[in-house]
Amino acid sequence: MPKAFRAGIRLKIAIGYLLIICCMGAAILLVTNRIASLQNEIETMTARDMEITNLITTIRYNVINMETSQRGFLITGNEDYLEPYKTSIMEWEGQFKALQRFIGDSPSKQGELEEIKTTIERWISTTGEPTIEMRRNNQTDAIIQFFQDDPGKRDIEQLRGLLESLRVKHLADNEAYLNDLDVRNTALTTGLYILVTAVAAVALLIVLLVSNSIVQTIKQVVAVIGEISRAKGDLSKRITVQSNDEIRDLANAMNILLDNLEAKGWVQEKVAEVATMNQGMDDLGKLASSFLSKVAPMVSASHGAFYIRRSSGGRDRLEQLASYVGFGEEQDNRSFKLGEGLIGQCAQDKRAFLLNQPEDYEASIQSGLAEFRAKSVLVVPVEFQGHAIAVIEFASLEPFTTQHLQLLEAIEDHLGVAIDNAAGRMEVERLLGESQALTEELQAQTEELQAQSEELQMQQEEMRITTEHLEEQNLFAEQKTKELEYAKAELEQYAERLKQSAQYKTNFLANMSHELRTPLNSILILSQLLYENGNGSLTSEEEGYARVIHSSGNDLLTLIDDILDLSKIEAGKVSIVLDEVNVTEIPDLMKLSFDPVAEKKGVLFQHEMQPDVPQIIRTDGQRLQQILKNLLSNAFKFTDSGSVTLKIHKADPIVAKHRLPNADPERIVAFSIIDTGIGIPKDKQELIFEAFQQVDGNTNRIYGGTGLGLSICSEFARLLHGCIVVDSELHKGSSFTLYMPVDYDAAVMEVEQSVQESAASRDNLHTGVPAASDALALRETAQPPLAGESESGDSKHNPFPGKRVLLVEDDARNVFAIIQALEQRGLEVAVASNGKECMEMVDADSRFDLILMDIMMPIMDGFETTRALRRHPLMKNTPIIALTAKAMRSDMESCLEAGASDYISKPIQMEQLFSLMRVWLTKQVDQ
Amino acid sequence: MPIEWWQNKVIPYADTDEEPAELEELEIELLLEAIRRRSGFDFHNYLHSSLRRRIRNRMTQDKLPTVTSLLNRVLHEEGFLDKLLEDFSIKVTEMFRDPEFFLSFRKHVAPILREKKELRIWHAGCATGEEVYSMAILLQEEGLLERSTIYATDMSKDAIAMAKKGRFPLKRMQAYTKNYLQAGGTREFSAYYDTDHSYAYFHDQIKKQMMFARHNLATDGSINEFHVILCRNVLIYFNPELQNRVHGILTDSLAKGGFLALGSKESFISSHKSQFIEFMPDERIFRKLPVED
Repeated sequence: MPKAFRAGIRLKIAIGYLLIICCMGAAILLVTNRIASLQNEIETMTARDMEITNLITTIRYNVINMETSQRGFLITGNEDYLEPYKTSIMEWEGQFKALQRFIGDSPSKQGELEEIKTTIERWISTTGEPTIEMRRNNQTDAIIQFFQDDPGKRDIEQLRGLLESLRVKHLADNEAYLNDLDVRNTALTTGLYILVTAVAAVALLIVLLVSNSIVQTIKQVVAVIGEISRAKGDLSKRITVQSNDEIRDLANAMNILLDNLEAKGWVQEKVAEVATMNQGMDDLGKLASSFLSKVAPMVSASHGAFYIRRSSGGRDRLEQLASYVGFGEEQDNRSFKLGEGLIGQCAQDKRAFLLNQPEDYEASIQSGLAEFRAKSVLVVPVEFQGHAIAVIEFASLEPFTTQHLQLLEAIEDHLGVAIDNAAGRMEVERLLGESQALTEELQAQTEELQAQSEELQMQQEEMRITTEHLEEQNLFAEQKTKELEYAKAELEQYAERLKQSAQYKTNFLANMSHELRTPLNSILILSQLLYENGNGSLTSEEEGYARVIHSSGNDLLTLIDDILDLSKIEAGKVSIVLDEVNVTEIPDLMKLSFDPVAEKKGVLFQHEMQPDVPQIIRTDGQRLQQILKNLLSNAFKFTDSGSVTLKIHKADPIVAKHRLPNADPERIVAFSIIDTGIGIPKDKQELIFEAFQQVDGNTNRIYGGTGLGLSICSEFARLLHGCIVVDSELHKGSSFTLYMPVDYDAAVMEVEQSVQESAASRDNLHTGVPAASDALALRETAQPPLAGESESGDSKHNPFPGKRVLLVEDDARNVFAIIQALEQRGLEVAVASNGKECMEMVDADSRFDLILMDIMMPIMDGFETTRALRRHPLMKNTPIIALTAKAMRSDMESCLEAGASDYISKPIQMEQLFSLMRVWLTKQVDQ
Repeated sequence: MPIEWWQNKVIPYADTDEEPAELEELEIELLLEAIRRRSGFDFHNYLHSSLRRRIRNRMTQDKLPTVTSLLNRVLHEEGFLDKLLEDFSIKVTEMFRDPEFFLSFRKHVAPILREKKELRIWHAGCATGEEVYSMAILLQEEGLLERSTIYATDMSKDAIAMAKKGRFPLKRMQAYTKNYLQAGGTREFSAYYDTDHSYAYFHDQIKKQMMFARHNLATDGSINEFHVILCRNVLIYFNPELQNRVHGILTDSLAKGGFLALGSKESFISSHKSQFIEFMPDERIFRKLPVED
């Protein structure tokens, strides 16, 4: 502030008052003066007036005295009387002179005065003295004479008049003077009033000026403060004061306060900004770099670095985490030991360093930014709970201001918390990650364990089954033993009876064949005789009948042979006679048999023989012929035009390997019978090998035949360790290929052995019970696998046989159909026609493996029944399959809610039902 | 939080006999190298803890005293390497595994997929294919199967062969049926398969849009651009580095707005996560950005 003239309020007020006092003083002085002079005048006036009156009176007295004295003398002649005369003569002149002095200045009075003087003198000279003298001289006459005239008396009279006039004049003068005084007095009063008014006005003016100069500034200040408070934190306004007084001081103080507030506000604002930015940061690096890029511009720093304290191996280091306008990878990854360099020292001492002339220290300071010639370097520790956890370094081209330092100081606390939070979050994140990794590993481990346990479970499962079996067996062993004892006896009887009945069957078959063949023979022979019509006794029509009889008889014979063959095979009574068969002869043999047929049907019979076929094969020639004949006769039977071809060739090793896995694939002969007949649809191709099956019912009616041929062929082929494969297209023709091993013995020694072994064991088990049961067993194992069952021929996995199924269904037709289907598969089926019945049955005997539950039932519907079953202590886990009306999603959901395990919609697809039942009857492995 | 946590924050892994573990680690390294050179399968980035357990398991089963003796058999015994590789490939899976995932997928993802004319779905690490068939059934029921192509890949030859067959043991089917129902199945599960005594065979109808191939996530790259990628419980066997790599492959293989499904216990902590939004966080379904709707 310039040392200008300073007019304080005190001064101003003092000056004001002083001015007023001066004015007042002046006024009072003036008035007093006036009053004094007036008084003086009045006093002078009064003294003169009295003097004059006195003098006049004295003069009058003296004159009278003189006359009186003269007269006295004159009368008496006594000199004593003359004394007053003499005194007055001596005195009057002095008195006159005094009077003259008083009023000599007035010309009007001058004349009178002169007159008075002359009169007196005249009196003295004319009257007084001469008379006195006359007396003395005793001239009494003269005296009387004199008095006759008496001039003296005129004189005295005149004098008296004169003096009276003078006195009156003097009085008039006095009057006039008093009047003048009065006027002047009035003027003085008026002047006094004017003065008072003027002084008051001046005083007022001064008061106004002074108060104005004070109030105006105060108002200004108040207005600015008001504005600031209204502007809500806008501290940018400042108070400007023209005056140079205490108010200015106040304003200045206020401005300083505002500056402080603004600075504080700035700091707070920045702190808040930084704090907000720090909020939720969960990465220290990110936190550090965003902190630097945020704060560095705030403190006008051109470089910044952020060091975080990390401990490794018990030693703390400050590692650079981020930089602002950094120097590059290498220098930005510095780290300092605790106490090393400024950074280290800062962290160790927990104190900030501000170097304003760093270039002076350059040599000795190991600072991350020392290479930069900054004006100012600032190193601040960041503390958290009394520990320096980080250090921030800033370098600036300008010196750091207090504000900057304040800001950093304020930020530091927040930053400490933020760093701690971020580190905490990172830690949490890391731990989370770790725990996640652990969870994943756990999952991995779980899965591994699961995989292992699955394996184990599989093994356990098998073991368990075995154990169960064993246990069961153990459990029932005693019972069984007893039962067995009874059964043994019974069995012996049965065995006896079976033996008998087997015998009966064999006998029966033999008898049948015999008994049938005998009359058939007769029929054949006789009918042949008839149609040959040797003696020509029959008409051609009758001849035809006989031919029909003959051919029918022939068919019947074939049928009987077939039945015999089949029953023999089934009874295991077909013996194979091994022989060396010359393959080259086969076509001729066949031609012999089938050329006539071909001719008859108008079908071409071709044969083809490839050269690489081994000439001699070792097998049962008769059976081979039988197969080929069967196949050929089939071919001719179903071929009305075109050709039938017999092709003998070496089998494709791949196909052979697939078809006959036990044989040497290089040594397989294939006999293909290819026709151009009606063909077989794909879905029936498997079927035709089963006994009594043809493509459809019609075939039978059109082409005749029993459907045993292919079945027998396939059985024979199997006996010869070969197989038959069909390949056919509907309406285009069929091709049956018989694969035969070249060498029967080498082919399947092992198979043979195992078959024999199993046969042997079977014989042991069912001692003396051959034929029927054996046939059944053989048939079961010999049955070609179904499409779906090919993967596991092992019948122990078949979940159906012996399982008890409870069918809850009210519709008799459905019941019939389902029972038929299920029983065919070896299931035991119990039926309840409604829910109530079902519950009764379950109460009586709950050993059901599966329940098929119709939903729409009278009395107690499927939902209710299912719920009731689930409440049943023994039925909690029994699979319940609901039979629902098709496409009723709500039904399905209700089923599941009620506790059904699964559902299937009507009309029921039997295959799907079986699938479903297999799923629910298969023992599950636990996960 | 006291300052102490700055120190000692790494909980030391308690391994009682350190030296043998180190030795075993070396042996395992050698074994993995041998496997990589012999078979091309690189297990270096698999979780070693997991590998160790499987190796130990194999050692116990074959009564081998050391990893080196196992290595010996890997190198000199025909077929042993394949056996070990099959050990390494964990094929734990089930149909409609985590039914709530499939339910969620059906409810929330399928409607979005319906907008697409053509769908490509990748099962990365399909194992024996249970999930592939589950997804196909789901898509069939949502009317999406016809326009979908499901690519199912796994590193295991055997797994792929199994998956192609589309048959699953009957003894698991009850659980699968329950899963199917819980996953919001709308038809009859039994309508999708035939059975024999041991297996359920899924119909060709379901199989027809599937393509199976061998693919090793650890070494191979992206194979196409997909709308949905399922990689469930595959990455848990990988170390974070490999997980990150695979995340990258999966991310690159996804179309914009495509879906990535991870296993229910799996995390997605990698640099690629920023490219996704958590579509169904509980079911670990992520959606790649930008989503164009």
